[in-house]
Amino acid sequence: MDGRSAATIVLEGRITAYTAAPIWRAARQTLARNSERPVVVDASRLVFIDDVGIALLFDLTRLQRPGAPVEIRGLAAKFAALVAAYDPEDLARVPRGKAQAGVLESIGRTTAQHFAYARRMLDFAADCGAALGLAFRRRGVIRWGEVLGVATEAGANAVPIVLLVGFLMGVIIAFEIGLVAQQFGAVIFVVNGVGVAMLRELGPLMTAIVFSGRTGAAFAAQIGTQKVNEEVNAISTFGLDPIRFLVLPRLIAAAVVVPLLSVFADVVGLFGGALVMATFDVGFLQFYSQLLGAVTAGDFVVGIAKAAVFGLVIAAIGCERGLTTGAGATSVGLSATSAVVTSIVMIVVIDGIFTVLLS
Amino acid sequence: MSSPDPSPPPRTNPTDAGRGAAISVRGLRMGYGERILLDKASFDVQRGEILVILGGSGCGKSSLMKNIIGLYPPMAGDVLIAGRSIVAASPAERASLQRSLGVMYQSGALFGSLTVLENVRFPLDQFTDLGLDEKNLTARLLLRQVEMADAESLMPGELSGGMLKRAGIARAMALGCDILLLDEPSAGLDPITAANLDRTILTLRDTLGFTFVVVTHELQSIFAIADRAIMLDQVSRSIIAEGRPAALRDTSADPRVRQFFNRQPTAVTQRAGP
Repeated sequence: MDGRSAATIVLEGRITAYTAAPIWRAARQTLARNSERPVVVDASRLVFIDDVGIALLFDLTRLQRPGAPVEIRGLAAKFAALVAAYDPEDLARVPRGKAQAGVLESIGRTTAQHFAYARRMLDFAADCGAALGLAFRRRGVIRWGEVLGVATEAGANAVPIVLLVGFLMGVIIAFEIGLVAQQFGAVIFVVNGVGVAMLRELGPLMTAIVFSGRTGAAFAAQIGTQKVNEEVNAISTFGLDPIRFLVLPRLIAAAVVVPLLSVFADVVGLFGGALVMATFDVGFLQFYSQLLGAVTAGDFVVGIAKAAVFGLVIAAIGCERGLTTGAGATSVGLSATSAVVTSIVMIVVIDGIFTVLLS
Repeated sequence: MSSPDPSPPPRTNPTDAGRGAAISVRGLRMGYGERILLDKASFDVQRGEILVILGGSGCGKSSLMKNIIGLYPPMAGDVLIAGRSIVAASPAERASLQRSLGVMYQSGALFGSLTVLENVRFPLDQFTDLGLDEKNLTARLLLRQVEMADAESLMPGELSGGMLKRAGIARAMALGCDILLLDEPSAGLDPITAANLDRTILTLRDTLGFTFVVVTHELQSIFAIADRAIMLDQVSRSIIAEGRPAALRDTSADPRVRQFFNRQPTAVTQRAGP
């Protein structure tokens, strides 16, 4: 120390993670108040310090300024060695995070990422198409046990929720249209609306949305976890094709069960509509008779075809997101979320395409 | 400036020496469902001691650690942390006791949505009133102790297995817990990093008086750090050896112990020819 009188900070007792905060604050304040003169830290009465205490002592030494040195006195040798083990210059050099990109760079990167994603999806669709083609040409390619397991989980176990949603859709549509039609004395034509809406649009659409939330996310999470655990790498190194091994059974199961679930949704939706129409004085027989004249087998077939396409697309998106999962649990969550959002967007887009093409 | 210690978890620092073991396992029976992995196990871990738990794969080393931590309730027996039963403790008491233990799990168990620095800072964020600068400085010092200084801004998904473990150790030490339980700390590390980690463990024991319970297979680490070892056996479901590793290797009468320490393969039984 030089000739100027030194300020003193006395540390005593135990400094631990739980007790260090007020001591640290007070010590820093003392240093700030005495920025022009030497400071002595008297550590001779310290009984115990943990890593936080060592960080505190280290912090005090690195905060010293030219002409105002900080000296620690009386610190037990074992603690002094720990404090001395760190280089203030080294610790001041905090690793820089990732540099922020400019606006143009961000636009460019995002555009490139979207093109890359579109290309990846096309490649994936082509691979899936090839795998499906091979499965139909050659026996033994499809793992039917796996298909049955997926179909049971994704299909049979989803029946209750699909029945509930389908029934409520029929009830809501019939009631909303019925209230308007009643004002024009056209209640009987509500049956036409309910019939066409359920068979062509709402049955497959609602089934697909339930399926994407319930099963698309599960596909992404299952395959994503397998990717994180390197099971997908293991499949590849066995010389097996992950698409054939993991994706194909899910595609086939989805393409079969979504139309079947859609049929359930159609039937209970029409039943719900019939129940509501009874309150508008349209009996079951009258509902049935009007329905036969209002809808055709074509409406039903279009709905089923849509459902099959929805099923394929949801399964493909779920599997693709699973296979492109990064590392760690967070990536699995992101894949599952992304699978659901992308599936719902694609369902609406595909439904629009169907509507335009068939109108 | 005085520093009273009203910290919630009980401390078992060696400065409290003479007041019993840091960890005491009494007549422990543990397992899963009907399957018993270990029975009638009793041992103490003294303050400032490095105890290594050894044994073949599947003998229940990691499960024993989880019973000690209080994550799994034992089928019978008791585990005392600083003289207090973690088995009979109320949920609040158990949480307090668990906070007095720093634990590193086999996979590191870092939180995937936080950076390495944020992971190490996490206990300080949750349980202390330190400012952000102070917490960051402490976390950076901890990361330097485990040679992870350059990885602080990385996400766990970007780390190797060895880096995950080292960051897990840094996080376990963040609250200054004086009892650290490490599950396979040096598995998957290169020899130099493993040796450095061994040195870190010894330094922490010698300087800060930490108590370590280390589950490991690594013979070099065992001989480098262990004051005492206990060896579990899957067949007899018991502790078959206890003592200094070198003494166990050189003088144990039990062939299973000698086989383990001398890294000898199990003899293959030859089938008689026709």
